[in-house]
This record gives sequence, structure tokens and C-alpha cells, in this order.
Amino acid sequence: MHATLDKESPFEPRLTAFVCNWCTYTGADLAGTSRLQMDANVRIVRLPCTGRIDPLFIIKAFERGADGVIVSGCHPADCHYTTGNYHARRRFAFFKELVEFLGLPEGRITFSWVSASEGQKWREIVNDATARVRALGPFASYPGTALPAFPATDPHPNSIATAKGAAR
Amino acid sequence: MRELRDLAAKLLSEGTVQVVIGWEDGPRGVRPAFVTDPAAARNLVFDERCTQNLVPYLSPRRAHVAKLGRPAVVVKGCDARAVAGLVRETQLKREDVVVIGVRCGGVVADPSSLEALSPATVADRCPGCTAREPHLADHVVGELPPPPPAESRRDARIAELEAMAPQARWTFWQEELGRCVRCHACREACPMCFCERCVADKTQPQWVESSPHPRGNFAWHVTRALHQAGRCIDCGECERACPVGIPLGLLNRKLAQVASEQFGHVPTDDPAVPSPVGAFKKDDPQEFIL
Amino acid sequence: MNARTITHAQLAALVTDLVAAGTAVTAPARAADGRLDYRHVARLEDAVLGGGLPRLSLKALFLPPTEPLFSFRLSGPDVAIDSVPTSFPPHVVLGAVPCDAAGVQALDKVMDWDYRDELWFGRREATTIVSVACSSRDEACFCGATGGGPTATRGADLLLVPLEGGFAVEVVTPKGEAFVAVHEERFGSAPNEADVARSRATLTGSRVEPVAPLAPVTAWLADHFEDPLWADVALRCHGCGACASVCPTCHCFDIVDEPEGVTHGTRRRNWDTCQAGRFTLHASGHNPRADQHVRFRQRVMHKFSIYPARFGELLCTGCGRCSRACPGGMDLPEVLRTIAERAAAPAGGAA
Repeated sequence: MHATLDKESPFEPRLTAFVCNWCTYTGADLAGTSRLQMDANVRIVRLPCTGRIDPLFIIKAFERGADGVIVSGCHPADCHYTTGNYHARRRFAFFKELVEFLGLPEGRITFSWVSASEGQKWREIVNDATARVRALGPFASYPGTALPAFPATDPHPNSIATAKGAAR
Repeated sequence: MRELRDLAAKLLSEGTVQVVIGWEDGPRGVRPAFVTDPAAARNLVFDERCTQNLVPYLSPRRAHVAKLGRPAVVVKGCDARAVAGLVRETQLKREDVVVIGVRCGGVVADPSSLEALSPATVADRCPGCTAREPHLADHVVGELPPPPPAESRRDARIAELEAMAPQARWTFWQEELGRCVRCHACREACPMCFCERCVADKTQPQWVESSPHPRGNFAWHVTRALHQAGRCIDCGECERACPVGIPLGLLNRKLAQVASEQFGHVPTDDPAVPSPVGAFKKDDPQEFIL
Repeated sequence: MNARTITHAQLAALVTDLVAAGTAVTAPARAADGRLDYRHVARLEDAVLGGGLPRLSLKALFLPPTEPLFSFRLSGPDVAIDSVPTSFPPHVVLGAVPCDAAGVQALDKVMDWDYRDELWFGRREATTIVSVACSSRDEACFCGATGGGPTATRGADLLLVPLEGGFAVEVVTPKGEAFVAVHEERFGSAPNEADVARSRATLTGSRVEPVAPLAPVTAWLADHFEDPLWADVALRCHGCGACASVCPTCHCFDIVDEPEGVTHGTRRRNWDTCQAGRFTLHASGHNPRADQHVRFRQRVMHKFSIYPARFGELLCTGCGRCSRACPGGMDLPEVLRTIAERAAAPAGGAA
């Protein structure tokens, strides 16, 4: 569990990691059984393969409160399903270029290949990603010059502003 | 135009097709025509006002058009890429449609305006066009007009946006996408958005929020742009259909640049060329992956 | 009827007064792409009065594209509901086009029909609508056929008619009268009647309406549900719903429950359109309006037959936005003319 966010504590980012079962999940497990110390800000979602990861998962993670996302799977040529990660690679190339074009800063989303034997690498990925997102600040608010909050829901630009105290 | 009209009349009177889908003059400019009577083939026109891509009318979802019978469709080079896309993705059998290609010198962005083709009025996709004579066609008609004006505003605009700091770019897109009212005209007008059931319409689970707030709109436009990545044939209908003027063409063009730069793919009217998202190379670029 | 005047300078000062007092002012204004939208303005100089139709109608101000209805959250074993307020801060629309103001008033009927829509009327009560006479009709406009026109006052609290140096102010409703009284110092005395008449005549002009008054169309629609005309006129329709979104009077909405987390969420209503393929899809899988021509028929009938039968007025103000917005080249005036021709033709002939 990571630190609770309150007035006293500094910001602790929440990251969601979408990882493939055969490589990165096992690699992360190895990091755990090797008792490697690392930041505890990441919640892992296990998929059979990076090829299963729909960019909508990443969007949903941000919608639901993630400040950063990690996507990780088998190295090319090592995919348990032979070609899943090749498809994922192209898909993520498009996704990354698109969301950066839309203004999402580089650094909130991390892509990596982490094999089942790369417990150390997983630790580095986690720590680096956490540090980067911590520096960028919460996704949903902007301290200093960070990005504007992920879209507030109301009011629609074409509507009359609702009265103060309106529910959302 | 005479060539086009004669051909259409011939195809209809010989029974090769039962409807020719082309363009005609309407009350406020050019609009689609569905010609079933050879005598009405004289209504068909082709000129710089024929901006609209007619290929969406071939979709099996348009049952009321399908009922008219075996179609011929008039296509510019860009439109022909839509036919290729549908054939490539097994939505259409090539032999089920007669393709009449027209040689093109560019079209205006707004067909209902009365202004002539010029650098100011030309559609964003036309400058630099390499498809002025469709290859995928059973017949090609018309004289090849002079090429469209050369200056591409669109790529310059993309470069301008990319030069902005991420925060400024985010603000720009939040304003543009914030106007979206989720009418989905972009989807309905697109020849390559043919899914029987769009992911945005699925409610169990609801992956894409249907509400037109900025959060829902962001998810929708990211999803549509990504589902069009490498497949968009750059006909401009999405942006033209949008009632609130969102510059959707910039998103699709940006991803087309990625497809070209990273995967060597450009939109083509050759159905044998595979789509970049179904394919991969073992040495695809991956500098962004740690 | 109480007529006043207002100079441009005083109107600018009035806008400043309103904004300073915390009243939002919405007016047609240029978006980044140069098109007009109804937007909040802080100064009169940001507004474009009498410069043409904004892209979306005034409907969005009273029935927002998305609107929360209530929030819900888990509260122990129960679910707590947090209501949204139904009273709204004061708002002035300056420069409404007459067809948009008329559209808002046309919707009052359905919004007060099977139940009184508190959110709609909360916004209506908080808002004063100041129309400006229209000088920018084009071939898509047919307001005359729907009983409107460039100086129509339906739905407006005040109507501004351009004069040298400012506007004549026609007071239409008690709300308009109260507004003038509160801002008395900004308004001048009654205008010269001849000047006003001249201005009105210029605006009305000698334009030939593209569509004749619509009673024969309404009558024809009552008896021609299965007419083959529908299959013909809707061939080029994409079913995209652009028409419904720009329309001042289309008002269908979808209701969704959106989770915001595991323990709470919001129920919202969102704009919807009968032109969408799934609009009438039943849970059983049956869709009574499975084809586009059937959906298009529904739109025309709702506006020109069903709504008049129920409420005594058309659900259309002739603004022409649907035709201008349509990417498929559909043209409502043409459809209405075609129906009118059929209505006038002698009976007989096979379908």
C-alpha cells in the first residue's frame, strides 16, 4: 500500500502497470522473491500478453485516478504467443505518438520489455517511472506549471455554468 | 463529364449495374446522386465541387441503398483507396461493385461555397496528391486537370502544434475536443468505420464513456484515431461532417505520418498492400520501449 | 408595446455592468477557426451581433450536451443520492438569432408535458433572451414557412432592431420589461417609428421564401406513412446525427449512469438522435426503425406532424442548419417542397 494522500504527506503517485503474464509478471514476481526493495506505488494488472492490451486500458487507468501507467511485456522474439508483442509494438507506437500529440507529457506512460529473469530491470523500471511521475505531479491537478487537470466533466463549453456547489 | 454520363447510361441500360452512385447538382451545390434510370445519367457531374467520398454508400449497413441493386460508384483517386480498404478488410468483394474512376485536379474543402478552387479553398488533403488518376477502377474517365495548389497547410499546422510545449498543446486540444457533442457524424461519414457494433456503443462494459464531457470526448477521439491508424484513407469526410468544426484531419494525418515514417506505409488503392496494423516487422522501431 | 432605444456605447456599458454584477453574458462570438459560436463574452466588442447563425443553436444553453441529473454514492449499506440544483445564476443571451429564440420557446411545450423539466425551466427562468434582428438569410433558411422571420419575437424577451448608432429595443415580455427597468440608465427613449420601419423593411426585403407555409405538408404527412417518397429522399442520409445536434428544436436525450469510482458516480443525460442506427434498438434485438429512410421519416414527421398534432406548433424554426451541416447533401427545404408538390397534386396514381 502506498502512502495515503493528505495535507501532511508529500504527493505519492499511483501507477497502474499492464504486464504480460509470461515475462514481465514473472519478472516482477522474481523481483519480489529476491526481496528487491522498490517503490510501492504500482498496482499490477496481469494480461496474457501485451498483444491483449487495448489502449483503452491505459485511458481508463488515467480516468480512474492513475497518475502514471507502465506497459510491459516479453522482448521481441520471446512472446509466448509468438507474435503478440510485435502487434503490440506497432499499436503502442501509434498510441504514444497520438497522446503526446494531444498534449500528454512524455513521462506519464512507460513502455518496457522485461523478461521473466529480469527482476532487477523490473525494479529499475518501477523506480524510474515512479520518480518521473512524482516529479510531474498528480494527473488530476496542476501544482505549478504542470498540465491542466484531466478534463473536468462539467460544464460543457456550450452550456450555462451550473450553480456553485452543483454535484460534479 | 460527357464520358462519365455516357458510361453511366451504358452500364445501366445494359443491366451491368442497377444504380450508379455519383454526384449531381442539388439546391445548394453538388450532392450524391443515385441514378437508376439511364435517362437520368445526364444529371451526373464531376468537377472541383465533388468533395464528398461516395464509398460509404456501399456499406451493407445502408440497406436502403443496397436495395437499389448492384452498384457502380464514381471515385476520385482518394475515394478509390476506400474501395481498396474495404476489399482489403473483406468488407466488400471487388467484383460486387463497378468502379468508375475520374481524373482529378483537386476539390474544394466546402462544396456548398460558390468559390472556385484556389490555394485558399482547396481541401487539406489535395496538395501534393499522387493519386490524381485512380488505379483501382474498371473504367477511368475525364481529362487530367492541372494539379492542385501545392502548399500543404495541414502538415505545417501539425509541425506548429508539435513545436508547442505539451501543456499548450493539451490546452489547444481540450478546447477543440471540448466542443464535441458526440453526434458521431465523423464515424458515420467515414468509409473505414464499418463496425457493426462500435466499441463506443458497447455498454457491457462501457469502455468509452458516451457523455460529451471532455473526459468522454478524449477517450472517444483517441479510440477513433487509433482505430483509423494506418487505415484512414484521407478522404476528409470526418472533418467535413463534424458540426462543431473539430480539426479531426490533424489527428488522422499525424498518425498517417507515423505510419509512413515508422512503418513505411502510405494510403494506397492497391488492396494487395497490407494494412500496417495487421502486419509487423521483426525490426520495427522501438526506441520508445525501455 | 414599449419601445426604447440603446446606443452601441450604452450596450457595451450594459454588458460591462452585467458581467461586473456576476451575470454571465452569452453572445455569438468567433471561435479560433473563425466560425461563430454562442460563447461567454466579457465585453460587447467580443460579440458579433447580426453577423449570421452561430454553429450550434441556443438549445445547448438550456439543454446542455451533457448534464448531471444527480450523483449517487455508497453510504454504508445504502445509496445516497445528491441532487443537482435546479436554480441557476442569472444569465443574459445577447444577440440570439430569432430562429433560435423561437426554437427555445417551441421546446417549452414538450419540457412541460408529461412532467415539468426542472433543469430546463430553471435555466429558462434564470435567462433573459435578447434577440437581434437577422440580416443574413441564405438559401437554406426558411423561417418564413414556420411562422418566423428576421424580426420575429417568439422566444425573445427583447428584440434589437438595428438603427443608426445603435438599436431600437422592442420589449416583448414582462421579463424583458423588468430587465429594462433594472438597467434603465442604459436605455434611451422611444425610437423614430419611421426609422424602425425602414430598418425592418430592409431586413425583410423582397426575398422569395424557398418553402411555402407548411399546413399542406402537415396534412400530407398524416396520411403518407408508407409512401415510397421516403426511400427516395433519404438515400444520401448517413444517419450521422449532425442535423439533430445543430437543430434548435431536436431534444432527444439518452440517460446513463457513469461510475466515477467504485463507490460513487453520476447519472447524466446526453444528447441523442433518432437518426442513429441504434436509437430504437430494443433489448430483444428488434429494431423497429432499422433502415435510414424510416429514421429520416421519423425526423420529418416529428417536426411537421407529430409535434403539431400534440402541441399545436411545429418543431422547426426554419433556421436551415440541418441542411448546411449535412455532409451527405440532404436538403430539408427541398424535401418539404417535394412533399408540398405531392400534396397539391391530384390524388391517384400507383405508389
